[in-house]
Amino acid sequence: MKTARLSGTWLGKIVVGVVLVFILLPIIWLAYSAFLPPDAIFKTSGVPTGFTLENFAKLPFDTLIRPLILSLVVSSLVVVLQLTVSLPAAYAIRSGAKLLPLYLLLLSIPAELMLIPLYGLLKDLGLLNNPLALVFPFIANPFIVFLLYSGLAKLPWTFIEAARLDGANNIQILLKIVAPLLRPEMTAAAVLGFAAHWNLVLYPKVVLDNPQWWTVQVALTEMLRKDPNAWGKLGAAAMVTSLPILILYIIFESRVTKTLEGGLK
Amino acid sequence: MKHKFNFTPGWWGVLPSLTLLAIFVLYPLLQVLQISSLKWDGVVAGEGIGFGNYLRLFGDADLGRSLITTLTLAAFVLPIFVTLAATIAIELEGTRFERVIKAILFLPGLWTIGASAIGWYTLYAPDYGIIATITNGAVALPWGDQGWAALTLVGAFTIWQNIGYAVLVVSAGLKGIPQETLEAARVDGANENQVRWKIVIPLLRPSLTFLAVIGGLYALQSYTAVYLLTRGGPFGSTRVLGYFLYETAFEKFEFGYGAALSMCALLLAFTFAALQARALRGSEQ
Repeated sequence: MKTARLSGTWLGKIVVGVVLVFILLPIIWLAYSAFLPPDAIFKTSGVPTGFTLENFAKLPFDTLIRPLILSLVVSSLVVVLQLTVSLPAAYAIRSGAKLLPLYLLLLSIPAELMLIPLYGLLKDLGLLNNPLALVFPFIANPFIVFLLYSGLAKLPWTFIEAARLDGANNIQILLKIVAPLLRPEMTAAAVLGFAAHWNLVLYPKVVLDNPQWWTVQVALTEMLRKDPNAWGKLGAAAMVTSLPILILYIIFESRVTKTLEGGLK
Repeated sequence: MKHKFNFTPGWWGVLPSLTLLAIFVLYPLLQVLQISSLKWDGVVAGEGIGFGNYLRLFGDADLGRSLITTLTLAAFVLPIFVTLAATIAIELEGTRFERVIKAILFLPGLWTIGASAIGWYTLYAPDYGIIATITNGAVALPWGDQGWAALTLVGAFTIWQNIGYAVLVVSAGLKGIPQETLEAARVDGANENQVRWKIVIPLLRPSLTFLAVIGGLYALQSYTAVYLLTRGGPFGSTRVLGYFLYETAFEKFEFGYGAALSMCALLLAFTFAALQARALRGSEQ
């Protein structure tokens, strides 16, 4: 076992403990409240108790489950397209195309600044209130290109040169050598890309105001706005919609954190 | 050496990505330049007013207030964010719980954000929140009517979401410090406090600078938290720049003015990014 290189302090331990509680409190409360009966809110003091599955059974289809399914489908599709487009781009840059500064510049554009420009473009293209508006603008993602490029930068490039000398073409190199070697980075990019798209709030609200195309975040926001004190119902909705992220994270956690930490060195 | 773009093997691989970026980032940014010269409600054709929107920026008291709110938020979030991340990363370094605690800390950043908002709202709301209910209102952050409380809430939510990534940043920096450096200091008679403050912290400077940079960006981008929790209120006290922009275009339907605002904010962002890139390069030497 690795031993600590720095000795801890009591103060440090207290800080870690307090922050852990602060981090976990909302999540534990959500998991707890999801099973509270609807009348729990009327208890005037003390910790509300009770157990029911009713909150889950009563989750509305049109205004929650349907948006959940739409988001699952669209965000997954976006991730697949992102990787398909970003891997060859990262490969070209690693092979010598001098475009990294351009991608870094694009990376520094804050997302909220694209709200009005994109709205104008989508309006011209007739894509407002069309679920394709959730797909097209997100396929080319500078962050994912950058993440994959960082992974490629760590690969011994002589490998690739050798394959080229042996007559492999670029598509073969990409599919047979680069993609398998880059699996940890691609997994991390996929999880982060999925979460980033999944967690868009204002954009889908603005470009898709028809309830038919509500995404999961719009649905949750509307539910909270309508019933801010329905603890059980809100908790159940929050837990069900967090499940996909939780599952992804449990499976791929170590790849995500290791890739990020490695990329930062 | 093949340095010319045309001769790079697989150069065509970058074309789909570049084409899409040109259509969905560069073109809209050029178009917004044109929109910024219009008085336009987003529906019927706009009317050209030249630099009118830009002139208006300078006299807009609400914009000034929004800038101050954004800076206040950054000023109070940043030191806490950086200190917490450094303390936690140093404390965890090499311990048994390092991995699992880091994994837990990173979770809120990915967690379904609408669900997080629900968790925070039902936990901390001064009227319907569980904490206020249990304590009969004795422990409650009055963000319904107090500006400072609402800003604290948004800041706390921002820290909650991003602290895990910040700890990873400092951890990566820590792992880059060779064991020998620490041993040498100890052999020379430095105690643990001196090792920490005189060796580790100074060597972490690049990581901490990087954190200050992204922490600043998170504070600027806290508009989602603002939308989810406070909607800019009470009385505009949490109307950060990003939220101000959203309100201008999509609630007041002043697209031309919103576009001019976007252009100026973009210039600011690029300047900011360039300065930071320089600061980062400086701190690595």
